[in-house]
Amino acid sequence: MPESWLPAFVAAAKSVGLNYGFLLNAFERAAWLNGVAVSVELSLLSIASSLAVGMAVAAALTSGRPWLARPARAFVELMRNTPTLVQIFCAFFVLNMLVSQVVGGPRNNPLTAYAWVVIVLSLHYGAYHAEALRAGIEAVPKAMRESAVSLGFSRRERLLHIELPLAVRFAWPSLTNNMVDLVKATSLGSAVAVGEVTYASLMIWVNGDNVLELMIFVFLVYAVLTLFVAWMGAWVENRLRMPGYGQ
Amino acid sequence: MPQSDTFSEHPPLVRLRKVHLSFGSNHVLKCIDLNVRQGGAVSIIGPSGSGKSTILRCINGLLTPDRGEVVVGDTPVHSLRTEAERIALRKRIGFVFQQYNLFPHLTVLQNVVLAPTRILGVERETAEREARELLAKVRLADKDDAYPGQLSGGQQQRVAIARALAMHPQLVLFDEVTSALDPETVGEVLSVIRQLVQDGMTCLLVTHEMRFAEEVSHEIVFTEGGEIVEHGTPRDIFHAPRNPRTHAFINALRN
Repeated sequence: MPESWLPAFVAAAKSVGLNYGFLLNAFERAAWLNGVAVSVELSLLSIASSLAVGMAVAAALTSGRPWLARPARAFVELMRNTPTLVQIFCAFFVLNMLVSQVVGGPRNNPLTAYAWVVIVLSLHYGAYHAEALRAGIEAVPKAMRESAVSLGFSRRERLLHIELPLAVRFAWPSLTNNMVDLVKATSLGSAVAVGEVTYASLMIWVNGDNVLELMIFVFLVYAVLTLFVAWMGAWVENRLRMPGYGQ
Repeated sequence: MPQSDTFSEHPPLVRLRKVHLSFGSNHVLKCIDLNVRQGGAVSIIGPSGSGKSTILRCINGLLTPDRGEVVVGDTPVHSLRTEAERIALRKRIGFVFQQYNLFPHLTVLQNVVLAPTRILGVERETAEREARELLAKVRLADKDDAYPGQLSGGQQQRVAIARALAMHPQLVLFDEVTSALDPETVGEVLSVIRQLVQDGMTCLLVTHEMRFAEEVSHEIVFTEGGEIVEHGTPRDIFHAPRNPRTHAFINALRN
């Protein structure tokens, strides 16, 4: 049952001309709240995997090995020079079909529209993260690298213990930017019917005269999500601060 | 003053033979011959750009000479080809830099234990105990939780020495380690190095601290223009140089 304040809220909204009646419909309310949950989950999953992609691609970009660096560069250019929406369409309508054919029919295809959106957003924003991290890795002073080499660190250990920890610190404000952008891009999932908050709202407003009302809610949901990501970003930035560095 | 002849009975730990190195058209090292005996302390002096630091970088494989031999113990450094071989060499050689180069995101203690735990596979507990002993030795026992950015240059350089020693090196290379320091903190770093030499650690120093070089070294090497102009005991080099270029360099410092 809806809490007692819900009818009161709907009534109050009605008095200023806003129709939030769908909140009193248990089915529509549940569908909409589920959309919010899906948006949050989509954002968190994609943020985590985009960071992993970004680190791997940044490592390849700065590896100094052409057979790694060149494909990584091509990947970055492909990802950032084509629209995210087109990438999602391409993934869901083209790649998904190819996967279905390979595994013997859509029935056996484990990849859903939801999975494709996570994959595309992770790769797309992973490319942006990779560029930010590459800049961070290149900002590690050469002398610092030399001292790690002199201690006997291998390339991998150097990257893991010295270069990436420093690169993440240098690149963190850019990474936070990318993550905020990623949260907003989850709304593109609606294009392939992933039931995140934009799509859930769309499904409700096509049945009722409440586009403006849902728009307001959708804006609020994204605003809260992006503010949360920005706030987390600032918190992490503070945690990662190196006391006395650069002073 | 230490007696150089007592060390000549030991086999050389570091041996450079006819080492040449060019960067493009710049001939940085021209036929360098150098020996550092086990337990010896050798100081390389000379004007800036004479190839002093380059010699150190050839010894731990940061640079590979164009010609000539560099041998550390039984390892022919000049012919090492793989990363793994160079890593095995570098584990045995401490390197202390002019700019300290501590890892700014790690505390002092983490800076000292990182390489032993990650590279030598020493257990964390053992590594930390040793690190604390080393920090006490360089008189920074109370700074283990500080970050490099919170320390003075002299303190950072002493941490860098502790970090190098934590790998139990056979040899420590010092590359102008006091050149970036305030005059008042130079002394604290030099006294740590003096103690190391007295403990019998093999040390090769590039330095501009002439008085210190004269005091702690068993041998002085004077380089100019990529060549070793003269080498000998501190007494010979500083008080009776045979080569006019050495003479001019020492005299210019005196005045």
